[in-house]
Amino acid sequence: MSDTGQQRSVTTTRAVVVTVAVLAVLLLGAAVGLLIKLPGADSSATPGRDSVDVGFTQDMAVHHLQGITMANTARDKTADPAIRQLAFDIESTQLEQVGRMKGWLTLWGMPEQSVDGTHMKWMDSSSHHSSSTGGTTGLMPGMATSEELAKLRSLAGTEFDVYFLQLMLRHHQGGAPMAEYGAKHAGAPVVRTLAENMLKSQSSEGEYMKQLIAERGATPLP
Amino acid sequence: MTSGKKTKATRSSVAAARSSVVAKKPKPWGTIIAVIAVLALAGTVFGYAYAQISEKNQREAALAKWNPSEENKDPSDQIQGVVKKDYKAGKHVQPTQRVAYDQSPPFGGPHDGAWANCTGIVYPKAVRTENMVHALEHGAVWIAYNPDRISGEPLDKLKKKADGQQYTMLSPYPGLDKPIALQAWGHQLKVESADDERIDQFIQSLRRNQYTYPEIGAACDSNTFDIDNPPPFVVEAPGADAVPMDGGTEDQAETGNQPGVPSDAAPTTQPSS
Repeated sequence: MSDTGQQRSVTTTRAVVVTVAVLAVLLLGAAVGLLIKLPGADSSATPGRDSVDVGFTQDMAVHHLQGITMANTARDKTADPAIRQLAFDIESTQLEQVGRMKGWLTLWGMPEQSVDGTHMKWMDSSSHHSSSTGGTTGLMPGMATSEELAKLRSLAGTEFDVYFLQLMLRHHQGGAPMAEYGAKHAGAPVVRTLAENMLKSQSSEGEYMKQLIAERGATPLP
Repeated sequence: MTSGKKTKATRSSVAAARSSVVAKKPKPWGTIIAVIAVLALAGTVFGYAYAQISEKNQREAALAKWNPSEENKDPSDQIQGVVKKDYKAGKHVQPTQRVAYDQSPPFGGPHDGAWANCTGIVYPKAVRTENMVHALEHGAVWIAYNPDRISGEPLDKLKKKADGQQYTMLSPYPGLDKPIALQAWGHQLKVESADDERIDQFIQSLRRNQYTYPEIGAACDSNTFDIDNPPPFVVEAPGADAVPMDGGTEDQAETGNQPGVPSDAAPTTQPSS
């Protein structure tokens, strides 16, 4: 009689202890679950090396940097306030955008520019590659060659202003298909938003430059 | 069943009591205390974690409400009284031209090529509207006030919201129909008091909101706009020669600068007439 009683008492105690232990573990587990976040659990997935996001960001940053170079030249050399203002606007805006894009690339752990020197791989449709400056020289559409940049530096006065506008207009137009593709096909919303914004703002800036060119009695480059 | 259990339980407890006496086994106080302690500790930890998390979530929800995101592109939709309009961006006029704006103060439409500097500037005098509108295109918020109705302490409160705050500017706007009007590109909110909580909500929702201003990354700093001597506000209504709301660059081929002649109508100082 006493043996079974003792046994029962032990069983009860054990049951209570086990139950409480399980309860405690569950509570602690829930608390830990609330407090910790797995690293990267709440950030969206990093785009891959071959993604539109990475390709667009790398190529557009490079494309922008040449625009900034030309704008810097114009800001230093022009005597026309309208050109100086346009150059400042392009330079500061594109530099800010380059900062955004390089920031993303750093967070994604990707190089700032395409490693093998090729561009536009991320745009599958071949229609976007159609550009005289495309494949052969390795320059992206709309970009000026070294000779063209040297010519720009050698000019002065209205001749300089007009050639700057012509090169910059072609530069904007050349970048448009990249922006359009990025706006449609990039995975990250922040990339799509910037690409779409570039497309819109650069096309209205292009209209403005066409007008500035016409006012100076010139026409856009063929 | 219940009574049987009870009997059994009674029996067993009696038996346990007896056996404890017999076997000199005391009640397991150690175990009981340990069990209670563990339970209390676990309960406290859970309670603490829960309280922390719910407080954090509440705080984040309150902030996220006015924070533009992919899910909440235009938080100003939740602000009572905000007027929204779509405007085509990038339309410029000459420093000598005026625009027949459709709103007062305007918050979109054609504008001067020179944007008003919006690097956290308090303009003591009213500034030419065509320049102020361009700054909105660059993502700035323009706080305008009626100088006849806002001064002293309320004005100091507004200055605090603009002075040194990037992408923000404050200026008087003579004839404003309400004491205060806030403008962002395509958005406006008019309020009666500098204490209105919607002022901060509007600024947080729309200043440099990548989903609502036309030129992401555009600067507030300017190399052609003189902060210390900005082109002045014009009180008279624009005349018949003013550029219409759908006008802009295309309409002014005749008014452009002559080739090679640096324009003396520098955008910095030329008032519109």
